[in-house]
Amino acid sequence: MIEDPAYWHRLQFAFTVTYHYLFPQLTMGLVWFLVFWKWRAVRTGDERYAVAARFWTKILALTFVVGVVTGIPMEFQFGTNWAGFTRYSGGVIGQTLAMEGMFAFLLESAFIGALVWGEQRLGPTKHFLAAVGVAVGSWLSAYFILATNAFMQHPVGHAVGTDGTLVLADLPAYLLNEWALVQFVHNQAAALVTGTFAVAAVGAFYALRGVHTDQARLYLRHGTMAGLAAATLVAFPTGDAQAKIVARYQEPALAGMEGRFETGPMAAITLIGQPNVKERRIDNPIKIPGVLSFLAYGTFHSDVRGLDKFPQEAWPENIELLYYSFHVMAGLGTIFIGLMGLASVQAFRQRLDATRPLLWILMLAFPFPFIANTAGWMTAELGRQPWLVYGLFRTREGYSAVVSSGDVLFTLIGLTGLYFVLGLLYLFLVGHEILHGPDAASPHRAPVPVPVEVGRG
Amino acid sequence: MAELWFGLLCLSLVLFVILDGWNIGAGVLHMIVAKSDLERRQVIAALGPMWSWNEVWLIAAGGTFVLAFPRVMAVSFAGFYLALWLVLWSFLLRGISIEVGGHIPDRLWQSAWDFVFAFSSVLLAVLFGTALGNVIRGVPLDGTGQFSMSLFTDFGVRGRVGILDWYTLSVAVFTTTLLAAHGSTYLRLKTTGRVHEQSDLWARRLWLAAAVLFVIITLETQIVRPELSGAFVHRPIAWLSVAILFAGAAAVWNGLRRPSEPRAFAGSCAVIASLLLGAAASVFPTLLHSTLAPEHSLTIYDGATAEGSLRLALIWWPVAFVLAVTYFVAVMRNYGGKVRSAGDAHDLDQIRGE
Repeated sequence: MIEDPAYWHRLQFAFTVTYHYLFPQLTMGLVWFLVFWKWRAVRTGDERYAVAARFWTKILALTFVVGVVTGIPMEFQFGTNWAGFTRYSGGVIGQTLAMEGMFAFLLESAFIGALVWGEQRLGPTKHFLAAVGVAVGSWLSAYFILATNAFMQHPVGHAVGTDGTLVLADLPAYLLNEWALVQFVHNQAAALVTGTFAVAAVGAFYALRGVHTDQARLYLRHGTMAGLAAATLVAFPTGDAQAKIVARYQEPALAGMEGRFETGPMAAITLIGQPNVKERRIDNPIKIPGVLSFLAYGTFHSDVRGLDKFPQEAWPENIELLYYSFHVMAGLGTIFIGLMGLASVQAFRQRLDATRPLLWILMLAFPFPFIANTAGWMTAELGRQPWLVYGLFRTREGYSAVVSSGDVLFTLIGLTGLYFVLGLLYLFLVGHEILHGPDAASPHRAPVPVPVEVGRG
Repeated sequence: MAELWFGLLCLSLVLFVILDGWNIGAGVLHMIVAKSDLERRQVIAALGPMWSWNEVWLIAAGGTFVLAFPRVMAVSFAGFYLALWLVLWSFLLRGISIEVGGHIPDRLWQSAWDFVFAFSSVLLAVLFGTALGNVIRGVPLDGTGQFSMSLFTDFGVRGRVGILDWYTLSVAVFTTTLLAAHGSTYLRLKTTGRVHEQSDLWARRLWLAAAVLFVIITLETQIVRPELSGAFVHRPIAWLSVAILFAGAAAVWNGLRRPSEPRAFAGSCAVIASLLLGAAASVFPTLLHSTLAPEHSLTIYDGATAEGSLRLALIWWPVAFVLAVTYFVAVMRNYGGKVRSAGDAHDLDQIRGE
């Protein structure tokens, strides 16, 4: 494994993309809070909303910049580390990669600066529009990259060219890939969960310390209610649709996710248990019969094919990790609905800021959506193995043959160091902002107006 | 169709070099034209609210490259593996230094990030120059259609070349000077006070140096790739680039003497565009020239994806381009004028730090 360059290329991509996605999920979740609060501020003139928007813009700006600088290497890695893949499928996935740059990045980067520094200069309406620009841009970017991923999961709209590489045959079919649509709503709802947990956690932090009481109440109310809605959406209908689409197009992945080695009706879902691939069973399982059949096909009696029905070279390579990822994601997702449901009830009864145990849980719960999102992506990507483009092109064929293991190890170590420092820096600065708090008296980023137009050059 | 996409790729690259060029150039000069902490905040603020939009043109160009010429993208990015990672790390440091440098009102914090900003900008200028030098000189593409290069070999320009040799290094010196000249011309337009005076002074020096270096590079290119000048004189676009170069140089000269800041800046943009246009016109239609044997070179015709894919992309690419320019105009209309440096200037909040 250590000798194998494919291993290092995979590890580096997995590391950089996992790290990168910690930040965009928060940006995409938070940005709609900003849009909403800025809209309320414009409509009602209520200063509370303006203060909240100003404070969270600072957190968003820091998150955004780390997302940008860790995102740039992602696109370039298609060429540097995955040249085989790019040569094979660039004629198709190049479309959405270029669209992401041209439609989405140029939109969000145009307005992020205006959003962060331009409140005074732009005035309330234009500044609100800048927030909308960033929100739409970041979600568009997600769509294009998910469409690219959807092609790897379930290739459509392509044809095989004369030299054996893929070419685009049908642009609408490629862009509106069923997998992309389902994955988009599921993934975006999950990003909203990350945002709502962050908002609620900061609200709980202030409420427990008894500072910024008004703002804390606002964050807790909006955070928990939006959190309940988002967490529910992640499970139903989007998670359900995602499970069905995996069952339809990636049967071995579904079997791997559940560690299901045998075929049959009334397929059970395993709540707890460890996959034992050598013995082809789940050790010490606690199961609920029929649920997997129901989730995958809508009836309890449907047959779910197990891994025994597929040749071993079609199995996902790392069944243990796939199984744990899926169970961590699904388990956390279920807990999120319960937690946010309970918190919303208390918030609705105006009792949340007095329910201290619940505030403690909300304050400490914010890392878990990051874990759930990461586990969800690991489920998607490990389930896709051993294919890079499902059914067409194997992962082993995709890496850059001219780049040696040692070179990849070198850049991987470099990236690990840089990203570690970047993470510390991010936590330090976000911590600094949160401790400083939303301060109505000195609106940061809303500088005193002075005449600056001293002639246009 | 491949020619058209070569043109669009060049367009996005030219936009990137002009737009991000002023950020990089300002970064190269950051420690030189701005001495106090406040002046350094002023330089960063002068980059404007859209500095990352400028940088994104590289991503757009990268996307367009995969879209139109996936095979060449794959070969070249893998071949330049370590050099490209240096570029990516420099971008990372540059972006962070711009965004967090003003975040904490502490001298040590700000000085540290000012240095990171200058250092990563110099690295970027040098690396882009080296990249341009490599594209013109060629890379050791062999019969497998791939290459991989050491950082340097014997510093010669034939056969088994490395990324660095006497030619690519001198191109790097030239582009660093040129981008610094461009950056100083930009800062001269966008600032007041001491930074303005210093930028004005450095603009004069750097443009003179760039002109001298340009003559040297042209002669060197004649030695490295003698066949290019033959192709160059037969292409109308090449002559157009010469015309733009002269017009731009005249505008820079005139704008520095008059002094008219917008004119000099427009001239600076024109000079950069004309140099890249001229380089593209002379290497066309080769995207990657082989230093081992000319038949291994990759042209736009070998590298392009299917005609049908390119035609489909032509539906949406221009729409996206027009939208992007619209955003730029919509935002920048609110950001005319100069960025001041005095302690009482609260123009962009970055000046003050917090």
